[in-house]
Amino acid sequence: MPLVLFRVDDRLVHGQVVIGWGRPLGARSIVLVDDAVAASPWEQDLYRMAAADGVAIAFASTDEAIDQLPSWAADPRATILLTGDLETMAALWRAHPEVVTQINLGGIHHRDGRHEKLRYLYLDEAEEALIARLGEHGARIVAQDLPTSPAVGADAL
Amino acid sequence: MTPRGQTLIRLLGVQAAWTYERMAGIGVGHAAAPLLRSHYRDRPPEERRAAVARSAEYFNSHPYLAGVAVGAVVRAERDGVPGPAISRLRTALSGPLGAMGDQLIWAGEVPAMMGIALAALPWIGWWTVPLLLVAHNAWRFWITRWGLDLGLAEGLNVGAALQRSWLPRAASDAQRAGAFGVGLGVPIVAGWLLAGTDGTGTLLVLGAATAGLGLMLWPRTRTRITGVRFGLALMVVALLYMAGAR
Repeated sequence: MPLVLFRVDDRLVHGQVVIGWGRPLGARSIVLVDDAVAASPWEQDLYRMAAADGVAIAFASTDEAIDQLPSWAADPRATILLTGDLETMAALWRAHPEVVTQINLGGIHHRDGRHEKLRYLYLDEAEEALIARLGEHGARIVAQDLPTSPAVGADAL
Repeated sequence: MTPRGQTLIRLLGVQAAWTYERMAGIGVGHAAAPLLRSHYRDRPPEERRAAVARSAEYFNSHPYLAGVAVGAVVRAERDGVPGPAISRLRTALSGPLGAMGDQLIWAGEVPAMMGIALAALPWIGWWTVPLLLVAHNAWRFWITRWGLDLGLAEGLNVGAALQRSWLPRAASDAQRAGAFGVGLGVPIVAGWLLAGTDGTGTLLVLGAATAGLGLMLWPRTRTRITGVRFGLALMVVALLYMAGAR
């Protein structure tokens, strides 16, 4: 299966993604879907430095990702798809629910208005409502920061 | 003391207020405050407060390289970069500074220094321990100062400056230095400790090393028995043995 993880993490490319998930999943590629990063060469320079040796990294806006999701799914390389927020991942799921088989909530951190659900997961009311709506429409959502941590279903958040 | 000097000192304790909520964010905000106070001295206080609050948002990287982010953020504030872009700069720096810091420090410099200290033990004796601490902290201070100055000089361009610097290459090579240091130190200090003992001592050490290797390779125990845990357990056994011998 070429797209091996669909992760929401506001830290974007960092150690938990590259090493924590990338190594056990054998990821050879990371696709970062973020409208601001896709338009920002200096941010792309920084995220390239965070990727491990031998792991390719690509950047796409939400619209580009919706267009390219089927071709990424057909790519033989194991690939991690990463978004910085839940809304972007929800847009991808709505466009291609057959491709985005499970959404991993890996890191949504504190800011004003958010409440702690797990140590690595803080949600505001709008995000909680979005998770509930996606669940009602059939999306599988699991919170799990690392493969060795327990997976927590959306119902338990 | 200059604002830069105050920031530098504060960066040495950047993890003192570490929390799951903001990780090192509060420490980074505290470190950036003297430079931000200096910059916003003649501006409305709300602007300074907003800048300090931005600096204290969630942040996670290697603590020794946090100065790069502090310097770059302060420079971006000086350059009038909008607040949301500064927040994105912090987020973008977090991953590479964490990854390169882990490779350079935890997997490279620390085991290299410890291995060299072990190798020096037979000649310098227990003075090796304070010398090791002084050397490590001198290096930690130097890299913190280097990072802060790089960030202050480059601002938003810090990513390209990091790529041009010695850091990515050193981070990539550091693990070899760590392996070399440990490989150098362990046999020398083992020979020193075992000198003058009979064959039983040598056999005990070889047995413990073989048992540790086996536990770390055996599928049922390798996730629970790490090198650090096994080493600490051996240290406890050795201390109990020494206490009993007295």
